[in-house]
Order: sequence, then C-alpha cells, then structure tokens
Amino acid sequence: MTGRVFQNIPDQIPAGRTLVRSAATLSRRAFGALALSAALAGPTLAETSGDPVYIGVSGPMTGPQGQYGEMWKMGFDLALEEINADGGINGRPLDYIFEDTQNDPRQTIAVAQKFIADPKISVEVGDFSSTSSMAASPLYQRGKLVQFGFTNSHPDFTKTGDYMWSNSVPQSQEQPLLAKFATEGLGLKKIAVMYLNTDWGKTSKDLFLKAAADDGAEVVAAEGYLGDEKDFRATLVRVRDAKPDGIMLESYYSDAALIVRQIRDLGIDVPIMATGSIYSPDFIKLAGDASEGVYTSVYYAPQSPRPEVQHFVKAFTEKYGSEPSHFSALAYDTFNLLATVMRDYGTSREDVKEGLGKIHDLPSVMFPKVSFDPETRRVAGPEVTPLVVKDGEFVVYRPQG
Amino acid sequence: MEFISNLVSMPWLDYSISGLVIGSIYALMAIGLALIFGVANLINFAHGAVFTVGSYIGWTCLVALHLPLGVSIVLVALGTGIVGALIEWLAIRPLNRQSRIAPLLSTIGVGLILDQVIHIVFSPTPRALSANIPNWRIQVGNGTIGPIDITIALTAILSAGLLYLFLYKTKLGMAVRATAQDDDAAKQMGVNINRVNMTVFGIAGALGGIAGLLVGLYFNSIDPNASFQMMLKGMVAIVIGGMANVPGAIGGGLILGLIESYGIGLFGASYRNLFAFAVLLIMLLFRPNGLFARKGERHAEPMTGTFVSQSKPVRIPKQLILALVVVALLLPMANQPYITQIMTNAYLYGLAALALTLVSGTVGLVSIGHAALLALGAYASALATTKGLPVGLGLIFGGLFAGIVGTVLAYPAFRLRGHYVAIGTLALGEIVALVILNWTPVTNGALGVFAIPPLELFGVPLYGTNQSYWFVLGLLLVFCGLQVRLLNSHLGRTWRAIREDTVAAETYGISSNYYKGLAFGFAGFTAGIAGAVTAHQWSFINYDSFNLQFSVLILTMVLLGGMGNVSGAVLGAIVIAALPEFFRAVAEYRMLFYGAALIILIRFRPQGLLGSG
Repeated sequence: MTGRVFQNIPDQIPAGRTLVRSAATLSRRAFGALALSAALAGPTLAETSGDPVYIGVSGPMTGPQGQYGEMWKMGFDLALEEINADGGINGRPLDYIFEDTQNDPRQTIAVAQKFIADPKISVEVGDFSSTSSMAASPLYQRGKLVQFGFTNSHPDFTKTGDYMWSNSVPQSQEQPLLAKFATEGLGLKKIAVMYLNTDWGKTSKDLFLKAAADDGAEVVAAEGYLGDEKDFRATLVRVRDAKPDGIMLESYYSDAALIVRQIRDLGIDVPIMATGSIYSPDFIKLAGDASEGVYTSVYYAPQSPRPEVQHFVKAFTEKYGSEPSHFSALAYDTFNLLATVMRDYGTSREDVKEGLGKIHDLPSVMFPKVSFDPETRRVAGPEVTPLVVKDGEFVVYRPQG
Repeated sequence: MEFISNLVSMPWLDYSISGLVIGSIYALMAIGLALIFGVANLINFAHGAVFTVGSYIGWTCLVALHLPLGVSIVLVALGTGIVGALIEWLAIRPLNRQSRIAPLLSTIGVGLILDQVIHIVFSPTPRALSANIPNWRIQVGNGTIGPIDITIALTAILSAGLLYLFLYKTKLGMAVRATAQDDDAAKQMGVNINRVNMTVFGIAGALGGIAGLLVGLYFNSIDPNASFQMMLKGMVAIVIGGMANVPGAIGGGLILGLIESYGIGLFGASYRNLFAFAVLLIMLLFRPNGLFARKGERHAEPMTGTFVSQSKPVRIPKQLILALVVVALLLPMANQPYITQIMTNAYLYGLAALALTLVSGTVGLVSIGHAALLALGAYASALATTKGLPVGLGLIFGGLFAGIVGTVLAYPAFRLRGHYVAIGTLALGEIVALVILNWTPVTNGALGVFAIPPLELFGVPLYGTNQSYWFVLGLLLVFCGLQVRLLNSHLGRTWRAIREDTVAAETYGISSNYYKGLAFGFAGFTAGIAGAVTAHQWSFINYDSFNLQFSVLILTMVLLGGMGNVSGAVLGAIVIAALPEFFRAVAEYRMLFYGAALIILIRFRPQGLLGSG
C-alpha cells in the first residue's frame, strides 16, 4: 500500500508551512497514509525544524517500469520516516521530490534541467534504466549535481564524470560470484544461459560466460530474449537440445517466473539459478510450483542475521504488510547513505560529492560495509548470500554435508 | 553447411507444438480484429487494451472474489462485450463520415485510455492469475501440453465456427455481411447498421476479453503492458489470413506462431518479431488479400480516394509568425533552464513532425514507422562521430543516410494504399529497430552507443542549455522555410495531386513513385537530422530510443496541427511535447488526458487545429 503521490508527503509533519504545501497535492490514499503515520509517529513528532533538505528523485511512476518506481517509493518513505524521527539532517527534515519520467530519456533530461536549476535539491537519485539515466548524465555532470544511480549497473554509468556515483554493484563484480556459486556450489559443468537482451542482460551474460569458463564450466547455450516476450517454449527447445546440466537466468523477476514455468512444462528437469534481481515474493507467486528449487544469490537476504537487515525487514513488513523487494532495499539504503553523507559532510552539492568519496565502512542493508572507490565511484568488495526457494519461500541455501 | 544440418536435425515436432500453442493465442486475438475489420473496415487498435481489460476482470473474479471459472468466463465476456460496444458507440460511430484514418486513430486513443485506467486501478506490477484447473499434462514430443493450452486452441476454433454460423445462417449475420459490403445500401434495405456495428464490436470485445483471461491463465501472469504486443501479433495474423476473413484469422494466427517458432529454432529468440514483421511486409506486398483469398476477390481497400480530412488551412498573419519567432528567440533570457530544455525537446519533435506531415499529409502516405528515420539518422551520426567524424558533418551524414536508406526501404511500400501503408510502415519501423538490436558488430546491439560527442559545430560548442536551444530552433526555422517553399512550387502541387487521386495523377503523366521518393528523401533528411541532434544531446542511444510509441506520438502531433500543414506540425509538436510537462503534478493521469484529447480532437476537429494543407 502506498499513496501514489508525486510530490512526496512527509510522514512527519515538521511545520505548518509544509503541511499546507502537502494539502494541495494530497490524494485520498496519501491522506490515509499521512494520518496513520502521524498517529504512529506520536511523541517523536517535531524533532526536526527549518527548511527541509531535498533529494530529487527521477524515476518511473507510470509506464512499463512503473512498478519499480512504486518499490523505490516504499523504501524511500520508510527511510525518511526513520531519518526524520532521528533528527533529520542535523535538525533539518529530509524530504524528496519524485518526478515521474516513465523511464524515458526525453523526460529524464528535462527533469535533470529542473533539478539542476532548483537550488533546493542537494543531490539527485535515479533514473531506473541505463538508457534514461545516462542520457541525463552529461547534464548533471555539467550542472555539478551528483547523480546517484542506485539501479544503474551498466559498466559505463559512472564513466561520464566525477558527479556520477552508484551503489549498484556492477555486473563485473556480481557475475563472477554467481559463476562461482554455479560451478563450485552446485557443481555444474555444462550451463545454458538465458538473458534479457538489454544492456544489463547482455553485459551480465558476457561476464558470466567468462567467469564460468574461468571456473572450468562450459556454457553450452546463450539465448537472448526481448523484455516484452511471454512465450519461451521455442527458445527453451533450443536450450534443452544443448543438453545443459543447469540453466542460468539473467532476468528480472517477472520474465524469470514465466521462463521457469515453461522450463518445467517442457519437462526440462535441471537445476535453475538466476541473478539476484528475481528476489521478490512476486517471483514465487508468478512462477507457482515451478519456483521450487530455484537458486539465486543476493547481496540482500532478509534472512541474514545482520542487525541492519533484521531491522529493515521488520520495519518494512510492519509498515507495508509485505516483504521488501530488492528494489525497496536498494532505495532504503540509498536514502540512508545520502543522509549520512549530508549529516557528516554538509548539504551543499559539492559537500555531497566530496562526502561520498570520504565515507568509510558504513553499515547498510545491502552490504555489510559500504565504502566507495573514489576512482570508479562504485561500492568496493560486496559479498553475496545464496538462496533457494523451498516450500514457496526463499531460504538461505546450505550445501548438504 | 552448419545451417543445413541444423535444419535437418531440428526437433521439428517440438517447435511445431510450441508454434501451435502460441499461434492459437494469436488466432484468438485475430478473430475479433478480423470481425471488426470486416464490418467497419477498420483496424481496431484498442483490441489489445480490451484483451488486457479481460485479463483483469478475470483476475478480479477468480482471485479477488474467488468465483468459479465458468462464472468468471461469462462475466469477462459480458464485461468486455460491453466495453467493445461502448467503443463503437462513443469513439467510432460519431466519426461515421470522416476520413478513414480517423477511426483508426480514435481507437489508438481508446486503447491508451483503457490501458491507463488498468494501470491506475491495478498498478503496473504483474499479477499471478490462477484457477482450479485440473493438473494433468499430456506428453507430446519431448514437451507437455496442459488443459489451458487445449482450451485456448478449442476456444479459438469454436468461436470461429460459431461466428461463421452466425454470419451465414442468421438474419442478423446477414445484416452484418450486408453492412460490410455496402453500408448505404444496407441502410436503404432497412438494416439498422448502428445496431449491427455495435453487435459486432460487442462480440469482438467479448472474444478479446476471453482471450485475455485464457492467456493470463496460461502464463499465470497478467500485466497492463501486454496490450500492444498482442494487438500487433493479432494484426499480423489477420494480414496473413485476409483482413476480414474470420476463419482465415485462425489460419493466420497458427501460421504466424509456427513461423516464429521455427525462426527461433534456427536463429534465436531476439529475432522473433523480425520474422513476424517480415512476413507482414511480404504479405502486404504480394498477397494483400491474405493467403486464403480466392482469385478475383475484390480489394479490401479502394485504390484511390482521400485518406486525409479536407479543409482550408488557417492562414496565420506574417506579423504573428514573426512575433512568435522573436518570442522563441528570447525565451532563454527568462533564465528557466527547465522550460528551455522542454522547448528544445519540443522543437526536435517539431522537426520530426515536419518530416511526417510532408509524407503523410501532403503526399498522403500515413506512416506509423516514422521513428525509424530518426533512428537511422541518430545511429549514422553517433557511430560516425564516435569514430572521429566532426559533429557538424555527422549531423549532415545522419540526415543524408536517413534520407537515402529510408527512401530505399520505403520504396516497396509506395504501391500500398490506405490502411496498408500504415501497417506496412509500422512493420518497417519495427524491422529497423530489430536490425539495430541484432546487428551487434556494427550497432553495438543491446548495449547501445555510449559516449557520443556533445553538440558542436566546427569547434563551436553548442551543448549548453541555451546554445542547443538556439541551434535546434534555428534548424527548425530553416527546415520550415524550405518546406514552405517546396510546397509552393510545382512539387507541392504534384504531391497533393498524388494524394487526391494517384490514378488520375498518373494518367496525367506523373510518375508517382518518383515524386513519393522525393518527398520521402526530403522528409528522411529532416527526420535524420532531428535524430542525430537528439543522439548528440543524450550522448547515449539504443535500439529503443526511437520506438513505436514515438512514431504514434509524432503522428498525433501532425494530426493535431493539421495534416500537411507546416505551422500546424510545429504547433502540434509544441502542444503535445510541452503541455504534459506542465501537468507533471497529475502525471499519473497524463496518458489519460492524452488519449482523451486524441479522441475529442478527431471527433470535433478532424482537420487539426490549423487545418490540413
């Protein structure tokens, strides 16, 4: 349940002025959320005061990728609630402005101009895909506003300039870990790969192929498919005839669910593993029984005993009544990370840029410790947890014996 | 040699089964489309959205209300039947006597609205759709098929059979056929053609809805973005089967499924739609009446006649144009980079619209593949400049490339008329995008082209917000001037003559293909430069940067301004590109407004704001 409002309604009500601004854009559902959270927040109210510090979010709220924007928003709202209850940014409340771009590059560049020209905005977050984010990157670079892309694992995303930062793990780090899990953890020797034929999927596939070969496994088939495809039977006949002993999916959860069902319908009975992006309760719902035994490995596993993770999962489930997805976790982490940077190093645009390079071993949900490599502007040294679907749930995978 | 051995050793049975399974889904879509085409002579672009509505009514019945499957099917059929009838009543009937592109665009508008309503009500997240269906599966070849696969195939065949009986054995069916043949004559014979049309749209809607439900159950997944793909596949199927041929639609669907499946078997899944659209083009060119047509059957489309609404263009006083140009030139002085950027976008759209209004308005070839020209220009310039060509020359190269390649590609489509031009150009547009995606060594495939140099002209940087604004504005003004001059010359007169009556023009000794080629070449050059500028502005493009939605958007701009009208194209581009930006606060409803505006415009001002030129 989220109020689908585009001007964010702060969950804490810091001052009368903000309330008036909110009321103008209030929707019925958002009002419910506001009233509820205000009631829940109770005594911690009004710990923050003054003008809010703003994060500008450029992301999809409508259009084909709208669902991801919704997941972001759940993570953002939860993070804001906690940050502001804890004194905001040195007493000032943190808030964000979400501009819907439909993940369309024409709209991301217009939004970029808007954010760059708006002195309220301390840092920008998004957009969703590399196409739409990277179209805006030259503008942010020239406008000297940090573009923090938390879903941009495209290898070139941070290469536009020193204002592009990302805590999204590039596939160059993720795929070797997955390949190691496939070859050593599951003992696969002949792997077939199916990949979403986009920059993300193709880069992932190439890196996986290389890593798997280095680990001594043979990749017997690599089949690309387009994002709006639903029927994979013919492609899977090709995969089956390559006689793999395991299938690797470089897919998002919705297409992975379709593929997994159709793999089993075709009577292909080999282990299936997939990238961490399938990690969503919806994957199991959509794939049904076919999801049993599917492996994945994630940076973020809600079963992880780390206190940051346990706290996040509990708070998220209490607020929304459902388990958080990978995207919500990324969104939550991103806001917390930026809040820490702004608390410690200041809220000006330059402060944020400098601060990102200075933070060291920050705790987070996704990674045990976050530091950025100032050269690549990416997170250094992530770790993964292998998972498997068992009895309709993702559980931590423990090899027998 | 390897290819041949692949061909022999291919597991044909397995590919045939998977082709028939997906083919029967296409067939189910195609029946409704063929039925509507038969009566209304119209490709119902809203049919995909009706499919999606059906799947969500199905979800509401089965998952939210836990109703039994039988009841759910009846409710889905009723619900989408009503939606279908309403489409006829609200969006088609009022347009009865207008140009024939009007109802087609009106259905695009309805489709947008329905899709957006589903988005808002149910959210874009895919949902699981399951029912208590027996869990047995039959082994066929090396795979299995289940009850849903069989139900889909049976529903397709059964509904085609029932429709056949209805059309040929009942009185209402006879009225439907009479209306399809000649609605005026049918009316004179006392047929209530409105009732007939409404019945047909209702039946087609019900079939589309049931298709949505069954396909949702088959994949155990429904989402609001499925409409367009399904609609396209249904359309290809009816082109194969014969536009208005209901049993032919089943054949068309199955054949399309098989072709795709064998194509995937041989080349891989990224090529799937390439096959679908190549088949579409070949059919349009060589068997426009479909595979199952008898010899000597009448053409489904008249060979001459206008496709564009006629009117006198609104004359804009020179002083007003001059004043507007001055205002445009001074805009960056307001120091609002956001607005400047939006207007730069709008002018780029304007360039694209200018090109389209020449081809579609002045010459009368309504194109839904216009984005391909921009993609050609963008890729040509991007690839050449990343290899060292100066950006200024890159822009010109992009324009020339799009002009020449675009004309060569479109040349075979010059002989098509009416709806077929629209479908043919749509297919061409998709083919260009898919070739870009799959031709990795040249185009860098799915990764797109990165690090495209920013806009500059022979050493003068133009990438600042204001500089690029002035540059794009300058381009737009120059091309507007050129186009106006061309239209006032003998060329313009010849183009309009071809549009009004190609046969008559040819009898006067005009080689219509030559003049169509000239128009396409000039339009391609303009559009190519627009694409190239966009590429340098974004610094990153991929195969999807200029997609089908973009083509539809440009067509809407042209329509809004008035087909063939130069100032209309610019106005249309500015209104459509800029207005939604100012309504960002209600972004969720943006597409809704857009769809509604399209329908209202076609209904009340079909000649566009400034009239067609």
